[in-house]
Amino acid sequence: MPREAEPSLNEKQFVLQALQDSIRLDGRELEQYRPLELTFGDQYGVADVTLGKTRVLAKASAELTVPYADRPLDGIFNIATELSPMTSPAFEVNRPTETEVLISRLLEKTVRRSGALDTESLCLVAGQKCWSIRVDVHVLSHDGNLIDAACFAVVAALRHFRKPDTSMEGGVLTVYTPAEREPVPLSWLHSPFCVTWSFFGEDGDIAVLDATWMEEQVSSGSCTISLNKHGEICQIAKLGGVPVEAVSLLQCTNVALIKAKDMSSKLDRWLTEDAKRRDKGGLLAELSAENDRVPDI
Amino acid sequence: MTVTAAPEAALGVLPRADGSAKYSYAGYTVTASVNGPIEAQRRDEHPYEAHVDVIVRPAAGVGATRERHLESILQSSLTQIILVKNFPRSLIQIVLQVEDTPENDYVNTKLVQASLDFAIMPALFQTAVLALLSAGVPMRATATATAVALVSQDGSKTSVVDPSPRDVEIAQSVHVLAFTSQDELLLAESEGDFTVKEWDEVYETAKQVCCRPVPTKEGMEMVLDDEHTSGPDLRHFLRSTMEQKVASDLHWK
Repeated sequence: MPREAEPSLNEKQFVLQALQDSIRLDGRELEQYRPLELTFGDQYGVADVTLGKTRVLAKASAELTVPYADRPLDGIFNIATELSPMTSPAFEVNRPTETEVLISRLLEKTVRRSGALDTESLCLVAGQKCWSIRVDVHVLSHDGNLIDAACFAVVAALRHFRKPDTSMEGGVLTVYTPAEREPVPLSWLHSPFCVTWSFFGEDGDIAVLDATWMEEQVSSGSCTISLNKHGEICQIAKLGGVPVEAVSLLQCTNVALIKAKDMSSKLDRWLTEDAKRRDKGGLLAELSAENDRVPDI
Repeated sequence: MTVTAAPEAALGVLPRADGSAKYSYAGYTVTASVNGPIEAQRRDEHPYEAHVDVIVRPAAGVGATRERHLESILQSSLTQIILVKNFPRSLIQIVLQVEDTPENDYVNTKLVQASLDFAIMPALFQTAVLALLSAGVPMRATATATAVALVSQDGSKTSVVDPSPRDVEIAQSVHVLAFTSQDELLLAESEGDFTVKEWDEVYETAKQVCCRPVPTKEGMEMVLDDEHTSGPDLRHFLRSTMEQKVASDLHWK
């Protein structure tokens, strides 16, 4: 497979020189994101996120399975990330690259291990039947900052997703088809978002948010902070690269909180808009068999 | 579920691929990217012609036998229309990403389905052709594809063009046919029970959809109008999509 062309020495120096003068190639501020767009599919649980030229599609799906023997009370929740040759011909089918492993690892830590989805609610019959929720992340086009876009897509897809309704009567489990009962949302506890900082220069004193692919290639290190709108940090990943001062890292987390709040409110707005679009006759509330509950997400 | 009445397409949706297209019709949405001609791997290299690599990726789950089968069908028919002899020892890579498939509201579907689904073939085929056009890969002809299901209702069989998952479920047989722009049959795959006479009917119906003459300004199409013109006019759709794209690309002229 052809290897991806690396930026030339001139290009590298040009980008770095410009960043020294606080100028970015696309004219953004150092702490500014590219325009974030989100579209939902016709089905529940399909989220298409565009961040500048980066585009990520996430699809959530549910299936009935048997829970793991060591966790009889928990459902199964998986995030599958695979970079196809669509992203770049340099990626091969069935041969994971380092980028791919890093993305799935970070998504796993951010969404799964922070307990964003209540896996206990996915259990139907202890030790026998549970829901297996799977999110497939498809990277359609890669122009830097895949992690933030992928994380946003995963959270959006899961919050948009509806699983078939079930009922338990006298030890008989019934799973209703969408024609019988309106599907129900997942029990979602909080929405974590990833904010990635890239550091430039030999001592990493220039910190930049939402780096493009070109910037990522010349950066001397990066740090991904996952947190929700309440400022609860789920994880901080700084994998290699130049060391960064603790004080500037603190500054980074403060800015990350502002960005996470911003993303959270955007997602809330898009979700309500989509709910309104689906609820044309205003009948959805009547069709729903779900219990009322006060969500705080 | 809202099913789009007319096919919709956008070309050049992915900034980094040589050519790309997004196509949605009958509840299916597919995005395709084409890269080529690029360097082929040693094992795929052919001394006289380009290797056409088709990769079908399902929206949920990993690709399995079903996707491999769809890939092999697409690969053999696309190799026929691409001028592969022009690019010896190279590779033309087509990646088809399924985004949306229509849902059957009456059953809870399993994630990994072993059964073959011919209803998705036209969408995959159409997207591949659009993406190839967008990438500027030289081709002998363009092609259009459609799926026809034979559903028996009260003793008599009716043909359903672009069947829904529900139609496929109750259908006696499902067929997928593709025609080139010279009205030649390019692909014919069938599944289920049917007679030769029924296949001929299916052939005629599919030809109606795929090979309707391009409407001319003199009112040629007036004659055809109120006959059984079921389904969309795919050839005209392909042409107008390309025309629009070319017009928007050359707007500076």
